[in-house]
Amino acid sequence: MIDGLASMGSALLAFMTPMGIFHVAWATLLGILVGSLPGLTATMGVALLTTLTYTLERDSAILVLICMYVGAIYGGSRSAILLNIPGTPASAATSLDGFPLAQRGEAGYAMALATAGSALGTVVGILLLVVLAPLLAEVALNFGSFEFFWLAVFGIVISGQLTGGVSPLRGYIAGLLGLSVAMIGSEGLHAHVRFTLGVPELNGGIGLIPAMVGAFGFAEVLTVMWRGKPRLVGADLREDRTLPRLADLWRYKFTIGRSGVIGTIVGIIPGVGEDIGAWASYAVAKRISPERDQFGKGSKEGLTAAETGNSAVVPGALIPALTLAVPGSAPAAVLIAALFIHGVRPGPMIMLEQPDFIYSVAAMLLLATAAILIYGLSLTRAFIQVLRIPRELLMPVVFVLCVIGPYALTQRVFDIWVMVAFGLIGFVLRQMNYPMAPLVLGIILGDLLDKNLRRGLTLSDGSLEPFFTRPVSALFAAVIAASILLGLAPVRRGLARLAGIAGGRA
Amino acid sequence: MRFDSPAADRVTALVLFALGAAMSYGGFTMDRLEIRQIHPASIPGLVPMLLGATLMVCAALLALGARGAARPARPSDGGAPGDGPSLANLAFTALWSGVYALALVGTLPFWAATALYVLVFAGWFLIPAAGGGARLRTALLLALFAGGMAVGISALFRFGFLVRLP
Repeated sequence: MIDGLASMGSALLAFMTPMGIFHVAWATLLGILVGSLPGLTATMGVALLTTLTYTLERDSAILVLICMYVGAIYGGSRSAILLNIPGTPASAATSLDGFPLAQRGEAGYAMALATAGSALGTVVGILLLVVLAPLLAEVALNFGSFEFFWLAVFGIVISGQLTGGVSPLRGYIAGLLGLSVAMIGSEGLHAHVRFTLGVPELNGGIGLIPAMVGAFGFAEVLTVMWRGKPRLVGADLREDRTLPRLADLWRYKFTIGRSGVIGTIVGIIPGVGEDIGAWASYAVAKRISPERDQFGKGSKEGLTAAETGNSAVVPGALIPALTLAVPGSAPAAVLIAALFIHGVRPGPMIMLEQPDFIYSVAAMLLLATAAILIYGLSLTRAFIQVLRIPRELLMPVVFVLCVIGPYALTQRVFDIWVMVAFGLIGFVLRQMNYPMAPLVLGIILGDLLDKNLRRGLTLSDGSLEPFFTRPVSALFAAVIAASILLGLAPVRRGLARLAGIAGGRA
Repeated sequence: MRFDSPAADRVTALVLFALGAAMSYGGFTMDRLEIRQIHPASIPGLVPMLLGATLMVCAALLALGARGAARPARPSDGGAPGDGPSLANLAFTALWSGVYALALVGTLPFWAATALYVLVFAGWFLIPAAGGGARLRTALLLALFAGGMAVGISALFRFGFLVRLP
């Protein structure tokens, strides 16, 4: 760990050049603005910015994208507190207590607490990233085709289960649709072209960037213009405190530490994301807190737990993204695509091929955290003005970027059509309560699942036995089976009945 | 029909079942590459067949789950204070954005298509909302905004990122 922290320190120093600081400053600010505006999500911000980083050198490009990611997740708290509309889904739990605080005239203090919680949550996540990522990469070096197949299935099932809401079925369907999209184009083992319907542009498959920009960009534009116009509440901060009290932070030290760890662990789980990190941290804090009756009515502890939890997911989501090439969240999925574009090959070999890269990423996250702290505490009043930008001016500009961004990568008009198609499909699916994270994860993991199932079957001469008898494979299979079973309503009802009977006997 | 109603779920289930069936059939009839003597367990159609079958099962479960009574309407986006959803706004946004992306881009120079798109988009909402006398002023300001954005974005991609614009 000491070596890891030393490597992170050297990476930090390497980024402290005028150009490095400039990139951190503008990208984090842009991220906060993107996150603040309802309708502009972190995934969309990272996807659109990826298209603007083609010409940057590798480290600067990744630094810019990570600053956008951290900034956007943090920025979502602004509109959650002031509008009761989470700027990003990650801030949904923040609005539960942030908005009541704003209604009580404490909007400035709520934003200050959100800033401190976000910064501390990210720091907890960074420490865990430095410790856990090399260990996970080492474990993953022993993975074979059988384990990688199950890892892909595990990602889809868990992501579907946790993001599907009341019904995991919708999450599973979204994941299956993502996997189906990944089946289009030339497959990875024999280069056989599948499901292109005679369209030559589909031979290389559906591009992740056009698909993501459509599903998260165009779909958001449609959603924002469809919804009613939100009204700003509690925006007069002239008499409100905009710096957090150290006494409050000290009082919530255990909440911050616990939420940071929970957020990071949620981040490590494939395709789950920041919103679940925030909800899980919030739920645990509510269960343990002595002031639990205040939760939902303007509890400062609830607000801190939610913001610490969602920000800690960012470093957590990068742990599997870097070491397994399996994203922990939707923005991390775009980051994986960006890593490939810039010549970094995430996966178990990363600690052998580029041993310092993980520590460079930790240093980038630390710089982004410092930036959100500075911006968050100094520009609280200025950010409120951003929320006043009319959506009628903002959304057409966003859509223009959605059109030109994917086009810029390949210079094919076909990618604009893909973006539009995914935007319309994404909008409809979202309105029908289908989560987007498993869909994205499916597109990313489709190739991994397909290649490793067929490669594994070839190695075992068609036998399924090694898929269930190798220790790690067996563990994955058991967890997947258990989580699918627990997702079935009759099984859950049966278990609840059993628990009730056992409780009655006791 | 609401997006999150049992009727919508039944239609979705039908579409998903057809998609799953098509994938399974496509996978089953896909070339097995015998001529290249690949292992029979590594045929390209294997995973599409499995995915198609799983999708059909999920579609059947979705249809079964949609048998119940209509669900109550969701509270509007977390209960945020503001206006309700507008189908007219959605239809205009989808149509005009589609026209821009699929027809204007590639037909007109990119900067001209973009200026026209931004002007019409913003003008559609903001000009009628402006009072009688302020309409001309709003339209002029929007034209300035649209032109500035179009030239700025075009210049950024053309000269900053060396992209040959559509």
